[in-house]
Amino acid sequence: MVDLRANWRVILLVVMLLVSTFALFSPTMAPEAAAEDQATNLVYGLQLSGGTRIRAPLEGYVAAGVDVPTNPDAQERLEERIADSLNGTFPTDVQARPQGTYGASGPGTVEVTDPNVTREGFTAALDAADVAYDDGEVYRGVSDQTREETVQVLRNKVNQAGLSGGSVQSVSVATAQEFFILIEVPGEDRSDVVDLIEDRGTVRIDVGPVMQNGSLSRERRRAVLSQDDFRDIGTATESQQSSGYYVPVSIRDSVAPGFQQTMVDTGVAGPGGSRCAVRDNDWRNASDPCLLLVVNDEIVNAFGMDDGLAADMRNGDWAQNPRFRLTTGNFSSAQEIAINLRAGALPAKLDLTGPDGGTSSFISASQGESFKQNSLITGLIAVLAVSGVVFLRYREVRVAAPMIVTALSEVVILLGFAAAIGYPLNLSVIAGFIAVIGTGVDDLIIIADEVMAQGEVRSRKVFQSRFRKAFWVIGAAAATTIIAMSPLAVLSLGDLQGFAIFTILGVLVGVLLTRPAYGDILRALLTDDR
Amino acid sequence: MVDFDVPEVDYTRYTNRQLAAVPLAVLAVALLIIAGWTVATGVPVDRGIDFTGGTELRLGEVPAPDDGGRADIREAFSASPESIQYVGTTGLYVVTFDDEVRASQLDTEANEAGFSVESQDTVSGNFGDDSQLLALGGVAVAFVGMSVLVFAMFRTFVPSIAVVISAFSDIVIPVALMNVLGIELTLGTVAALLMLIGYSVDSDILLNNHILRRSGDFYESTYRAMRTGVTMTLTSISAMIVMTIVASLVGIELLSSIGIVLVFGLATDLMNTYMLNLSLLRWYKFEGVAR
Repeated sequence: MVDLRANWRVILLVVMLLVSTFALFSPTMAPEAAAEDQATNLVYGLQLSGGTRIRAPLEGYVAAGVDVPTNPDAQERLEERIADSLNGTFPTDVQARPQGTYGASGPGTVEVTDPNVTREGFTAALDAADVAYDDGEVYRGVSDQTREETVQVLRNKVNQAGLSGGSVQSVSVATAQEFFILIEVPGEDRSDVVDLIEDRGTVRIDVGPVMQNGSLSRERRRAVLSQDDFRDIGTATESQQSSGYYVPVSIRDSVAPGFQQTMVDTGVAGPGGSRCAVRDNDWRNASDPCLLLVVNDEIVNAFGMDDGLAADMRNGDWAQNPRFRLTTGNFSSAQEIAINLRAGALPAKLDLTGPDGGTSSFISASQGESFKQNSLITGLIAVLAVSGVVFLRYREVRVAAPMIVTALSEVVILLGFAAAIGYPLNLSVIAGFIAVIGTGVDDLIIIADEVMAQGEVRSRKVFQSRFRKAFWVIGAAAATTIIAMSPLAVLSLGDLQGFAIFTILGVLVGVLLTRPAYGDILRALLTDDR
Repeated sequence: MVDFDVPEVDYTRYTNRQLAAVPLAVLAVALLIIAGWTVATGVPVDRGIDFTGGTELRLGEVPAPDDGGRADIREAFSASPESIQYVGTTGLYVVTFDDEVRASQLDTEANEAGFSVESQDTVSGNFGDDSQLLALGGVAVAFVGMSVLVFAMFRTFVPSIAVVISAFSDIVIPVALMNVLGIELTLGTVAALLMLIGYSVDSDILLNNHILRRSGDFYESTYRAMRTGVTMTLTSISAMIVMTIVASLVGIELLSSIGIVLVFGLATDLMNTYMLNLSLLRWYKFEGVAR
């Protein structure tokens, strides 16, 4: 009869193996990203499944620690002043924000996202606009908000293009205040992904149906506002006065009077404003004249106008301060309106080509598949080589076979872990698995040699003391491996992070779980007293 | 059947000086190679595109090298490739360009020539510089961390420094060999160097442990430590040799470069542990302690 208490380490290992197997194969644990036809729940990274990955910084400069006025109007004047002293930069490419948004330094930031602006040009423009700033606080990059908006826009683009499994995220470099945008799209060519990112639509605002001679016609007036007419397009903001969300927009002074007149003429700014209730998604059925947001010749949103704004337009006050809010019921549609207004243009551009640019990689589906198979073969052959040497050395199946089985079980547990958390497997992770087998078998050799040294192991007491001695060396070796690998696990050195993480995990699993269990197995096989 | 057992070396025949001379001489030669390389090329070791920036393409549907595939590739691109490698088992060419060349242009030219682009990796120059700094910093931190840990574990100077010196040599000699054999420093080889720190210390710790913490004759302890340690290292070496061969046959560069550097490092470790480290320990045990 096997003593359960004495063999609890083996039992724990078996339980962990079962849990890992469950995580690997159970359909209930299947991650969304995994394809239906897969036998396991493992998620494969782009290297093994094919696709494109682009990692690039956003272009722009930020001056932190600038005293930015809190009044929105004053902010916009400031943005305009700065844009004016930069040749060919639109005011929409300059953002002034009153709160500290870049790193820890406050109180406000000014940023420019026009890729043609140099650092010198930016600081000269700040000087020209009488902005006080600290030269040491002018950074390459963009503010947190702009970065988040850019990620949002990119996500929308990837989703709208129907690219399943695509992801966009912002990643930071641990050593510097540097951020990258990481875009991963399975199954697409690099050029397709770049086209998608850089694709910029056209946006305009139409009015329809318009009032003609006091009655609602079925006409629409096109392009009452076009892309260049906007001075500033804000971000989705929660309304303070009422429930709901809005996107603040301001219009260039030069076009404001004309736009105001058009609003009055077409009846949008009629007495009492317009309610714009659109039936059946057709503007022709609207009860009142509407402002229509048109992206790539397709109407994406319709807006009415509230009473107060309409009154300002009629008496001509509005053009003095030409701004309005596009209001909507929920945050996500407000966000979408902001994105639509920019015609899918990114708030800041990705630097794909410059020397400061990031990295990009593309792997075709067939190449990924062959990497997958070949790395599996490589790993298996490495395991066979290890087994061969171990058998030759010990000549005893009782010692060597559990060794191989134990080392392999480490890999099973790690695979189960990867499947459970949905960690994408890449070549570097597979290299980590091979490293784990290597260190694992090394340590099992230490245990076996120590336990079998100096003659037969008869009693359990002798076994325990020898096993404990062996464990000191193993613990020390494990600690050095973990120390050696930890820089890689923290630094963002591309794929090597996965390699380091899985090597460290493997060592931990080994020391805490599999090696003690191997000790128990060996004891059961070698000692007489149970 | 092959008989595999660790032979017993009669260490009494050699003095400490004799034992230490060989590994120290090899280390000196390695340092000279690296120094010479730095003088000649400006960097201690040739760097791959991970660190210099550049583009690596894997091209399919290109004629075999015997049918003028290489010439076709040179003709297809307006920029001249830095290297063209043919991977026979997969029938693909691995072509690298420096970081002056734009990835989108290479894409277009490859498609126009009728090649299929199976994979493409682009790293921009400054990004490569950043990575290099990170990688060097990582290796340095790992090494210092390991040294501190070793000193904390043994708490005596000579045995600890013996481990640290042989770990240092285990990294330096493979780097020199990389220069001699034309293996570039990539993220994979950096990973291998870091792994060497972890791997190589294992057998040193084992030896120290057996000699310092166990009762019994010095030579007997040494032999027991060697039996285990040499088995460990040989097992790892054989796994890595096989991995290197298979991975380079099927063209998985990451795995083959990790493999080859580990083979060098582990072989170096055999020498360092059982000659350099051992001689220092013997001096410490028989003369150092007595002082």
